Amino acid sequence: MGIVTVLWEKWVEFRRDFYKITLAAMIAPLMYILVFGLGVQTFSHGESYLEFLIPGVVALTTMNGSFNAIAQNLNVQRLYEKAFDQVMISPTPLWQFVAGQIIGGSLRGVYAGSVIILLILPIGTGLRFTGWSFLIMFLNGAVFSTIGLVVSFIATNHADVPRFSNYVIMPMSYLCNTFFSTDSMPNGLRQVVGALPLSQTSSMLRAIAAGEAWSYTGILVLLIYLLVFGAATSWFLYKKKNL
Amino acid sequence: MIELKNLTKKYDEFLAVDHLNLRIETGEFFGLLGPNGAGKTTTIGMMSTLLLPTEGEVLIDGEPLTRQNARLKRKISLITQEYSMRQDMTMDEIMEYQGRLYYMPKKKIRERSEELLEFCGLIDYRRRTVRKLSGGMKRKLMVCRALLTEPEILLLDEPTAGMDALARRQMWNLLKKLNGQKLTILLTTHYMEEAESLCGRVAMMLEGKLEEADTPRHMIDVLGRYAVDQTTEDGIESRFFEKREDAIAYLSGLSGESALRNTTLEDVFVRRAAN
Repeated sequence: MGIVTVLWEKWVEFRRDFYKITLAAMIAPLMYILVFGLGVQTFSHGESYLEFLIPGVVALTTMNGSFNAIAQNLNVQRLYEKAFDQVMISPTPLWQFVAGQIIGGSLRGVYAGSVIILLILPIGTGLRFTGWSFLIMFLNGAVFSTIGLVVSFIATNHADVPRFSNYVIMPMSYLCNTFFSTDSMPNGLRQVVGALPLSQTSSMLRAIAAGEAWSYTGILVLLIYLLVFGAATSWFLYKKKNL
Repeated sequence: MIELKNLTKKYDEFLAVDHLNLRIETGEFFGLLGPNGAGKTTTIGMMSTLLLPTEGEVLIDGEPLTRQNARLKRKISLITQEYSMRQDMTMDEIMEYQGRLYYMPKKKIRERSEELLEFCGLIDYRRRTVRKLSGGMKRKLMVCRALLTEPEILLLDEPTAGMDALARRQMWNLLKKLNGQKLTILLTTHYMEEAESLCGRVAMMLEGKLEEADTPRHMIDVLGRYAVDQTTEDGIESRFFEKREDAIAYLSGLSGESALRNTTLEDVFVRRAAN
């Protein structure tokens, strides 16, 4: 029930800001595809770079959509509007609030990724997006929504969330198997970057899109991230003395 | 009944609330008074689970209040000192969100929202977003939201701050009416006149410590029911007397500007805060 309440709140927000949310989800990914995919026409690993790029852009769009839907919003509600106080004191179990935020954030990520998939349809790349692709996008969104929750609880001022985006989300957007394969990275760095959730998502989406075999290990990795950050969120909500 | 047992809150080395013990009976209107930084808001924070105590506990009807105890949390509503609402939601959405958080049926949320918004004169603005409301309207909306869930305990942290005189009087009348319906109310306020008019008992909080609770009338009587103010070079000096005749006798011996008046709760507060 509490989950439905949070989803209702997210729906109200989405309905009101539909155009803003949709445009914001489209602009940067479209630029990447236009500039790197269509403008600079190159080949990578024997295939059109555009075909390599699109799954990565869908993955990073899902990440950004989910993270931004939660982190900034909750940060403002907690530190400035103080609206989060009413959630804290309400009888709605806090785990349900967390679950609602994660599902809501994931759906926003899937929505943003789907917009990109729809927009590239006319290009006719032949890339495939199946039910598995959407499940992976949802899981990726869930991981970054949960990271968004943790960041918004750690944040002590308005600038902390954009700062985290600058230091963590933005580098991940570029490095995690999105614009180029992690295979070309030096040893050590390759393993570290390869273990990050976005690298796993890009890798799985790309394999599915190309109709290749893919490993379920990536799903397991995403689930581990989800559990770790989910536990951190619960600790903040139930144990932190001054939230 | 609310019981605070050894309630303590420390922020690093700063002791904001120091082993506070208090008992508030069901249906009581209790006032928590004190200067800025005395620990009133921190106390209310712990009584609503916004903050967790460093030591001690809050008991509601003998049961410890925790963040996990949904049954007890359902009994409590809080009106915070600052506006605590999403700025981008309309009044209707704010009310619906609150109702949903408290598991109220949709029909009841709608009916009660209309009733409360009508009562507070906000019904015509129900589709206006919070961002576009005046300060007074936001305060009233916070009251409507707090009452929507039909709480048994209402925690009010300076609820009339920033309200004009008329709105404040309306709020007082509303609070008196609610207390008449056996709602337990804890109020923190800077307005002594407000506490004197509304509260059955009050207690002063100074530097995190709570002084003994008493009725405003008795506190005034202990200080002296009559006050004589004398304007001196250092400002106004007040002396208090139990009997009117004594006050008049003292006043007649004074030269310069001076006046006789009734002692107020503010005098008690100023005297205690100065000591």
